[in-house]
Amino acid sequence: MPSAVDINWYIALSGILFVIGALGVLLRRNAIILFMSIELMLNSANLLFVAFARHLGELEGQVLVFFVITVAAAEVAVGLALIVAIFRSKKSINIDEINLLKG
Amino acid sequence: MNTFSLAPLILYLPLAGLLFNGLIGRGIVDRNRPKGERLVGWLATLMTFSAFIVSVTLFISLATNGFEAWFVPIMNWITIPAANFTVNWTLQVDTLSVTMMLVVTGVGSLIHVYAIGYMHGDPDFSRFFTYFNLFIFFMLILISGSSYLMMFVGWEGVGLCSYLLISFWWDRLDKNGIPANANAGRKAMVMNRIGDFGVLLAMFLLFWTFGTLDYKPVFDGAVELYKSGQVVQFGGVGVPIATVLSAVTVLFLLGVAGKSAQIPLYTWLPDAMAGPTPVSALIHAATMVTAGVYLLVRSNVLYEIVRDSGALLFGLISTPDLVAWVGALTAFFAGLIAFSQNDIKKVLAYSTVSQLGFMVAAAGMGAYVAAMFHLITHAFFKALLFLGSGSVIHGMEHGHHEIAHGHDGHGEDDGFDPQDMRYMGGLRHKMPTTYVVYMIGALALAGIFPLAGFWSKDEILLHGQTHALLLFLILALAALGTAFYVGRQLIMTFFGTPRHAAAEHAHESPPLMTRPLVVLAILTILGGLLNVPYLTAAQAERHEMHPQGFWLLLEQWEEHSIPAIELSEEGVVHLPHTPVVFSPVVAGLSMLLALSGLALAYLVYKGRPKTYSEPDRLARTPIWWWSILPLNTLYMKYFVPWFNRFAAWLAFKLDGEFWHDFVHDRVIRDLFVNFADFSSNVLDAQGVDGIVNGAGSVTRRLAGVLRLTQTGYARTYALAVFLGAVGLLVYFLFMAN
Repeated sequence: MPSAVDINWYIALSGILFVIGALGVLLRRNAIILFMSIELMLNSANLLFVAFARHLGELEGQVLVFFVITVAAAEVAVGLALIVAIFRSKKSINIDEINLLKG
Repeated sequence: MNTFSLAPLILYLPLAGLLFNGLIGRGIVDRNRPKGERLVGWLATLMTFSAFIVSVTLFISLATNGFEAWFVPIMNWITIPAANFTVNWTLQVDTLSVTMMLVVTGVGSLIHVYAIGYMHGDPDFSRFFTYFNLFIFFMLILISGSSYLMMFVGWEGVGLCSYLLISFWWDRLDKNGIPANANAGRKAMVMNRIGDFGVLLAMFLLFWTFGTLDYKPVFDGAVELYKSGQVVQFGGVGVPIATVLSAVTVLFLLGVAGKSAQIPLYTWLPDAMAGPTPVSALIHAATMVTAGVYLLVRSNVLYEIVRDSGALLFGLISTPDLVAWVGALTAFFAGLIAFSQNDIKKVLAYSTVSQLGFMVAAAGMGAYVAAMFHLITHAFFKALLFLGSGSVIHGMEHGHHEIAHGHDGHGEDDGFDPQDMRYMGGLRHKMPTTYVVYMIGALALAGIFPLAGFWSKDEILLHGQTHALLLFLILALAALGTAFYVGRQLIMTFFGTPRHAAAEHAHESPPLMTRPLVVLAILTILGGLLNVPYLTAAQAERHEMHPQGFWLLLEQWEEHSIPAIELSEEGVVHLPHTPVVFSPVVAGLSMLLALSGLALAYLVYKGRPKTYSEPDRLARTPIWWWSILPLNTLYMKYFVPWFNRFAAWLAFKLDGEFWHDFVHDRVIRDLFVNFADFSSNVLDAQGVDGIVNGAGSVTRRLAGVLRLTQTGYARTYALAVFLGAVGLLVYFLFMAN
């Protein structure tokens, strides 16, 4: 089935989303924003999975996306719980203040 | 009667004694001094004496079982199944080992009894008897083992005991504040190590050649290899068996020089006199120092093969001849050195070196039985002399003690030394028993008929006369020298008038000390009967035809262990020994030498020295003597001073300054100390410690750099992960394939 949109556009969009996510992880200090950036990176990967699945006419890519969404959900649950716990003791979610493992 | 299974008892009994005394002896002595001393001392004596009884039963067993060697296994020492290799500890009971056992345990028991009296009151009484039993134990291991390996175990063990007992009073300092006793012990240890290294190398060679160290296979294998003319492979190079055995025997000679105090390693023995006198008597005269002679006699097959093959060492001399020369030169020079000694024990020490030289010379000439004969008689009379000198020293010390407390004009410190013969004189009236037995021992040492020393020395001279004339002359001169220093010692110690107040107040020693002396004196008188020569050749022949006569001579007894081997095609033939036939010429000459030596000593030392500070007659010629006879004038004016200077040069320059001080103290000792110093301060402190500490500090420094990468900021780690991912991506996209 011919696609209305060329696969390259999907790849490019996915790349842009991933870079935005990665830069967000590296540059921002707010732990919530960090989490959102990680979500963005995961979803850029999801987008690519779905795009290729459709392009190649196979279902494995779509199945994998469900796994990624599941893992992401679990990760958010654990991560938010950690952030809440840290906020309770430090009154801050600035990740630069969480540096007890400094060598 | 067969009691060979009793043989291990000779080891277990002294072991039991030493364990008892070593573990609880000290407590017993400390709790109740007189009774404890008696228990500890007599227990040690009883153990040694029981070992003597066992030796006697072994002797009877051998005599009633055809004299053949009997092997009694004790245990498997080392077993390596994969290599099919075992080392057994087996006792070899044969006529040679039983002879040594009898001497060691018999003389040992007497000296134990004496030591109970001598060591009375010593704070380390139990330690002394522990060491004494330990020595007997190791000496019996040395004698009784059926292989060179077990012999070496005993060899090292007695060396250890010698060290422990020489430095028994290790904490005593001499006048200069030097721990002389401890140093003497260490010297004995180091000198013996040099000899032991020879024995070890010889054993390696034997093991390489024969694959075993057991006496019998080694000797049988050596004879077989020699007759078949096969070569021994050393990494592709074939070496004739005679050459291998030359090396083995010369290395053994090094060990003998160490243990039996021969040139060039004899210097430790005079220093060993620092130990208590019973130690000097037992270890450094009667038994341990004869281990070297035992090694030579035991290895007779190897020496005889070398002699038969005519193999020369460096193309110069065959090893049995070298042994004979070393022995003869030692006998001669040690006798000369004894002339200038004033310490009563030092004279005996050099005399021991000299007499050991006689034994080694006899073994080198192939007269193994004569060597053993002299070993036995020497054990009797030298133990007697040492114990007698101990009695004299004991008496002098008591005399000195008495004047220090009794009178008041005599208490001044005049450098008195209870061992110095110059302070003695006239002791024959003060110590009559000691005098009589000492006289017997001394005359036996000088070789006066019919005491034991006469017979054994005569036999060695007899062999020397048939072997090599020059050797014979050197040995005869050594015998003359022996008589001279013996006479000098007798005159200085027992005759004349007391030269010091201590000698005037000397007392006879307690019976516990004098009784063993009397027993030894009787042995010294009768010892010659062990191997009286035949009066005529016809008588010898008659005895050879009917050997089962009443009298078993040492010669016939030992021939079962020292077979005369014929190295021909017919195989090993056990020939009957050529019996020793009495030679009136040699016997007369040896008597003449002994008497003239004594007479010479009498002429020179009669009534001399007058006071303890007077120089030795040999060191300065008295003027009055010159005027009596022109011949004497010549003799005393030219010969004696020259001879004195020569003897003094030998004693003080060559032996003292050059050999003891320079070669041994400077070269060997300093080399050793410097090497130990280098090992400790450079190799260990800088090398080993450097590596270990370096590993630590490098790790620390590296960690200090690496820990900086752990910033603790999550973003740094994220960046690292990111860069890693990019790196992997770049690698897989552009580099892989």
